[in-house]
Amino acid sequence: MRVLYHLVRADFLERVRRYSFLVTLAAATYLGYCCETGKLVIRLDEYRGVYNSAWLGCLMALVSTTFLTLIGFYFVKNALERDQETRVGQILATTPMTKSFYTTAKTISNFVVLASMIGVMALAALLMQWLKAEDPHVDLWALLSPFLLFALPAMAFTAALAVLFETLPILRGGAGNVLYFFVWTALLAVPISSMDKGGRPTDATYFTDLTGVVSVMSNMQADLRSIDPNYKNGAALTIGDTATSKKFLWKGLRLSPAAYLSRATCLLMALGVALVAALFFHRFDPAREWLVKRARVEILDPVNGEAALSALPVQTAQLTPLVRAASGSSLPCLVLAELKLMLKGQRWWWYAVAGGLFTASIAAPLNDVRDGVAIAVLIWPVLVWSQMGVREARFNTAPLIFSCERSLQRQLPAVWIAGVALAVVTNGGVAIRLLIAADRPGFLAWVACSLFVPSLALALGIWSGTSKAFEAVYTVGWYVGPGHQLPGLDFLGASPESARPQFFLFLTAALVVAAYLGRRAKLANA
Amino acid sequence: MELTIAGVSKRYRGGVWALRDFSLRLRPGVLGLLGPNGAGKTTLMSILATITRATQGEVLWNDTALARDPDAIRSVLGYLPQDFGVYPNLNALEFLEYLAAVKGLDSATSRRRIEELLSLVNLSDVRKRPLGGYSGGMKQRIGIAQALLNDPQILIVDEPTAGLDPEERVRFRNLLSELSGERVIILSTHIVSDVEATATDIALISGGRLVAHATPEELLRQVEGKVWEDVVPSSALQAVKQRYLISGTARRADGVHIRILSATAPNGAQPLIPTLEDAYLYCLNTHRAGGAA
Repeated sequence: MRVLYHLVRADFLERVRRYSFLVTLAAATYLGYCCETGKLVIRLDEYRGVYNSAWLGCLMALVSTTFLTLIGFYFVKNALERDQETRVGQILATTPMTKSFYTTAKTISNFVVLASMIGVMALAALLMQWLKAEDPHVDLWALLSPFLLFALPAMAFTAALAVLFETLPILRGGAGNVLYFFVWTALLAVPISSMDKGGRPTDATYFTDLTGVVSVMSNMQADLRSIDPNYKNGAALTIGDTATSKKFLWKGLRLSPAAYLSRATCLLMALGVALVAALFFHRFDPAREWLVKRARVEILDPVNGEAALSALPVQTAQLTPLVRAASGSSLPCLVLAELKLMLKGQRWWWYAVAGGLFTASIAAPLNDVRDGVAIAVLIWPVLVWSQMGVREARFNTAPLIFSCERSLQRQLPAVWIAGVALAVVTNGGVAIRLLIAADRPGFLAWVACSLFVPSLALALGIWSGTSKAFEAVYTVGWYVGPGHQLPGLDFLGASPESARPQFFLFLTAALVVAAYLGRRAKLANA
Repeated sequence: MELTIAGVSKRYRGGVWALRDFSLRLRPGVLGLLGPNGAGKTTLMSILATITRATQGEVLWNDTALARDPDAIRSVLGYLPQDFGVYPNLNALEFLEYLAAVKGLDSATSRRRIEELLSLVNLSDVRKRPLGGYSGGMKQRIGIAQALLNDPQILIVDEPTAGLDPEERVRFRNLLSELSGERVIILSTHIVSDVEATATDIALISGGRLVAHATPEELLRQVEGKVWEDVVPSSALQAVKQRYLISGTARRADGVHIRILSATAPNGAQPLIPTLEDAYLYCLNTHRAGGAA
């Protein structure tokens, strides 16, 4: 237990002292603020609950489970990676610690970090009841029990999933980050599909309801039905459109034994996932690493080295003076070099799929291209774009590149141009199809999209220092925007109604400026 | 061709001063920068390589202030950091081609240069092998090659022989000597023999301050008549260590041979010819004693 405590403690302290923890904590606080200002509500048709301890506890707990199971996953999915990079993992691997102990400890460590965010949300709930002043009586159990029953088990499961993703080589990188979004979407959708025909939860609903959204809301719905027989059973956690005309007094959760059991099962599942992760954990064996990240050098023992040197023949080493052409015309060379670097390591099947999508873009009917093929085309290079602005830090080549002449004025634009070129080429079939159909607005939206996506990747890469930010933000934006043709987020212009090319061109300009300023801040003598 | 470091200080977050009022004027030749761990060598290198900014003072390259126009030095700079990475999916040729493009070299020039450099660092045979499979020493040689891509007038190398095998160390030392004629070369290392073999000037740095700047001969003169050898039984070693500054010990059949640095001859000790390592330890110890006083 002592070992476990110290392992978790060290990991927790290392994380909470990082800048990214403050950012994630700020995001959690912002969610609390959105609830306080009424931008995030649980809405039952035209009703919402009176802001008493029970309602606010459930509201904040559901907001936590819904959003922190997504944001939190990306935040904690670096426990093994950090041990790998800092070489602490190699030290741990030489101790008697078992693989299952390690993955369980990392799960607990992830959980503690996520739980600290839940703690912030619980405090926000308490504060909110005081600020809203709709019910002055604070019932601590009613306020905190949703966090204990729903939020914490959900965080435990998220923590374990993050460890599992890290131990599986195929899910460790960007592919895992993209895939998790769809896993998260499925986790939200599955309990709804297991409800009965009347829209009431069954026992199966509770056991599949990781976030607790359906379990809690069905409780609220049942109580409202008994108050207002005309209530049409609508229920949603709503963002933005939150105006409600009626309030009702909800007295709190009344859960069935199956619901309680399901929460315990959620914790057990978290433990199970942590133990499954141990099966894939390679114990930092460098022979099983997919990628060698940094060139580390070993220093020879100078005394022994000297003895060997004296026995060696003296060799001359000369270098011809460099005669070079005037610099200034080398940007195309650099763009080409960046493009090669971006695509290096892609397998034949990556090109085959990209080629297939390109061909399908030209061959398919225009409507199918706009709201189908083009959307698929946009997700395919996501892991290539996500390396923009990150590569120098990830592979520790920054000192080599940033000490070069006009790095900010040449290398940064070259990366951006290469990213745009990749967008233009992979998405080129769509452009050809739009031009054949003489769809000018569609083509303008395509231009905006081709400029916007690499700009977003570059800006997020530079400011976050990790590819995860783009992979997560872009996947969500891609799903909600082009995927659901949401005006304001549809950067592709999947339908004429949702296309906003001018807005995305403006956003592109802002992102390019942000990328420039971010890189400039990183260069000491920009 | 002159690099002037004028009163440079560097303070990190938390108020730690890594460099304090450091001044030096460098002309073509090899400057060996010697100092213990945490002395401020890497910080100084980073400032000169435009990676980080001085908190106070300035660096001038041929009268151009580095803070005002960093590209003036970057265009003639070759830099081998102590800790650097490579792109594991690229091979040596591709990686150097990439960095040549970043440095602004045209394709034809870079192609010729890369061929020559790969041959120079003995990596021609493995030029097509992905860098991810390279050993530490091979990666270090790639680092050396990239630093020389643009035929730099200022070459800054931080622990360049770390990880190299003895043969490669000899090659690199020879290369540095060969290049030093018309370049300012700064060699930072804790391996005194590397400095002994190549440096025309030596700067000793400790606690972020310049302790000494002299030629190797001048440094050696400081310890002439101050290096002694004594032979003592193992049981007496601790007592001698407490009394004298020791620069080396070796256990032999007749007892422990101790290399002592002292202004006065210990009882029964024999004089020795000083080495640069003796001079380095003596200067540092004198500096520390002065600081403590």
